[in-house]
Amino acid sequence: MTYSNALAMGRQQTTMRGQNSVSFRVQDKRLGPVSNTIVLIVLACLLGLLYLTQVTKTNAYGYKINSLQQQQASLQQQHDDLTVASAREQSLAQVASSPEAAAMTPTTPSGSVQ
Amino acid sequence: MNPQPVPTVDPVQRVRVWYALLIVLFGIFALRLFYLQVIRHDYYKKAALSDQLKQYSIPAERGTISAQLGDSTVPIVLNQKLYTLYADPTVVKKPATVAAKLQPIIGGNVDDIKDQLSTKGTRYVVLQKKLTAAQSKRILSFKFPGVGTLEQDYRTYPQGNLASQLLGFVNANDKGEYGVEQALNHELAGTAGQLKAVTDINGVPLAASSDNVSTAPVNGSNVDLTINIGMQAQLERIINDENKTLKAKSINALIMDPYTGAIKAMANTPSYDPANYSQVSSADVFTNGTTSNAIEPGSIVKLLTTAAAINQGAIGPDSTFYDPGSWTIDGATIRDASADGDTSGTQSIGSTLNLSLNTGATWMLMQMGGGQINAKARNAWYDYMTKHFRLGLQTGIEQGYEAAGYVPSPQDNGAGINLTYANTSFGQGITATPVQMAAAIASILNGGTYYQPYLVQKVTTADGQTTVHQPKVLERNVVSPQTSQDMVNLMEYVIQQHIKEGFGYLNFGGKYNLGGKTGTAQIALPSGGYDPTHFNGTYAGWIGGDKPQYLVMIYTDKPQVLGNAGTSAGQLIFGNIAHMLVNDFEVTPKSH
Repeated sequence: MTYSNALAMGRQQTTMRGQNSVSFRVQDKRLGPVSNTIVLIVLACLLGLLYLTQVTKTNAYGYKINSLQQQQASLQQQHDDLTVASAREQSLAQVASSPEAAAMTPTTPSGSVQ
Repeated sequence: MNPQPVPTVDPVQRVRVWYALLIVLFGIFALRLFYLQVIRHDYYKKAALSDQLKQYSIPAERGTISAQLGDSTVPIVLNQKLYTLYADPTVVKKPATVAAKLQPIIGGNVDDIKDQLSTKGTRYVVLQKKLTAAQSKRILSFKFPGVGTLEQDYRTYPQGNLASQLLGFVNANDKGEYGVEQALNHELAGTAGQLKAVTDINGVPLAASSDNVSTAPVNGSNVDLTINIGMQAQLERIINDENKTLKAKSINALIMDPYTGAIKAMANTPSYDPANYSQVSSADVFTNGTTSNAIEPGSIVKLLTTAAAINQGAIGPDSTFYDPGSWTIDGATIRDASADGDTSGTQSIGSTLNLSLNTGATWMLMQMGGGQINAKARNAWYDYMTKHFRLGLQTGIEQGYEAAGYVPSPQDNGAGINLTYANTSFGQGITATPVQMAAAIASILNGGTYYQPYLVQKVTTADGQTTVHQPKVLERNVVSPQTSQDMVNLMEYVIQQHIKEGFGYLNFGGKYNLGGKTGTAQIALPSGGYDPTHFNGTYAGWIGGDKPQYLVMIYTDKPQVLGNAGTSAGQLIFGNIAHMLVNDFEVTPKSH
């Protein structure tokens, strides 16, 4: 059984020689076993609560990370789509059929095979 | 009357009872928790993790493929995320309404979509494939029950069908098939990453879990090809245009730098759309004929025979001989198939190549044996074919399904080996692919170095490390520099003679040098013997100034032409290619 050191002090009172001896006794104020248990449970609960708040707070970052990753994937997809669109616009078939190509003046070829 | 004393319960005693009960209760809890958390720890941890721990594979992005465009590169194979639209007909409500809303976005017929949405006995129907992200988003905004989209990675080809056989495709299992995609599948594919994480009910990984394992994917390497995109497009246009009249079963053509082995263009017809590879009627169209079509090349092999005989000292470039018009070997008669009629009489090495004399090529082989086809001639010629010109061996070019071809053993098998070897001297009885022939002929034009043909110019890994391909020498001293110069001159002579004979399209007014050799090859039948009515037309040619700049190799499979297929089909295509190269690709003129 655990006692509080402060409350146990009363038991250490002594009398000096020649001094009128008057019996005094401070009534012990001790926490009983139930109180101790309750205090410990409350402390454990507080610790648990603290742990849960911290873990929840940390895990909330999971959502933030997930959201950022989705945003990154979305931007990457946009980038890929734009790269494909750009490559298609620059494709030989597209360039050949462009108004700019149609407006060009043909050069004289070296010859052709009949 | 004294009242009976009421029995009292000592309050301390009562507290003690409750206290004892509490202790017992806590004791039971403690024991139970000890049992669950300590003794059954592993079991429950495993059970919890099986529910909470999710394992995701993070796919690596496949590398892109680019081609040369001037001093820069242009992508010809890219990746794109597209969406498959699916529906669960058992959940879809009001199919007619849903179909009417979907049709303007996905196209097709409203009734067909409605029928699909009303399909009985299935919970999964695919309504459309390859939808864009915008289309997918629009469809999902309707929030139709039982209708969803599935994201999928696709290879996309901005240049359409261009170089399709050379590129290959990626199959449904993300594996490269044919072409560069197959040959470099490992480099292009990369390595998938992995995420093992404890997740919440929404599947979002919990950041605080110590059980999380995350391995980032390593994306595939990007590949730059040696292919010049403009030259490739023009080569494809030429063979497609010409085949409208030639009506060949297929045409394979390539343009190579004879001084490095770099392939500048490599084309086949018929072709296919790699983005819709599953819609082809025959898988034959997937193969790149320039690297896998090993056939009897015909008379273009006479270039190799001539080079071997000159290099061995058996003949000289100016040698002459009496052509009897035919040779009898192992009881069989070898004749010329020349369109110029009887060629008997005195012939030169130049006329042997110009008139494509089988008797002349046979005579050269005889000279390698001291005047007759014997073991010495066979062994010497076999040595040149396999060790100098590397026939019968894969070149190692970065293509799937490259063929090795076939060279018969020189050992006397008791079944007319001398006749077989006489046939090989003019390109029958052996098989070789266009790229094998191109690499071999390049080695006799560039001074005698056999460069490995290659398609990959540069590989850049995901972390930016670049490897630039350097030309790889597989054989040195294939022929001497003098023999090489003799062969350049002899091939020029053939072109000059053809110009005189009326093939004016080979005339560039003396500004450039051209060399060439036709081949009209008999086609072996699976049942034995040769097809009496059809021939393959082949051609080996080059164009340049003071030295060969571009080497061209052409195989045409059964062109529907009259006369000599090598001339009517092969040389015709070469002429077009030569003009294309002069017009658009800066062929260096002669210095004098």
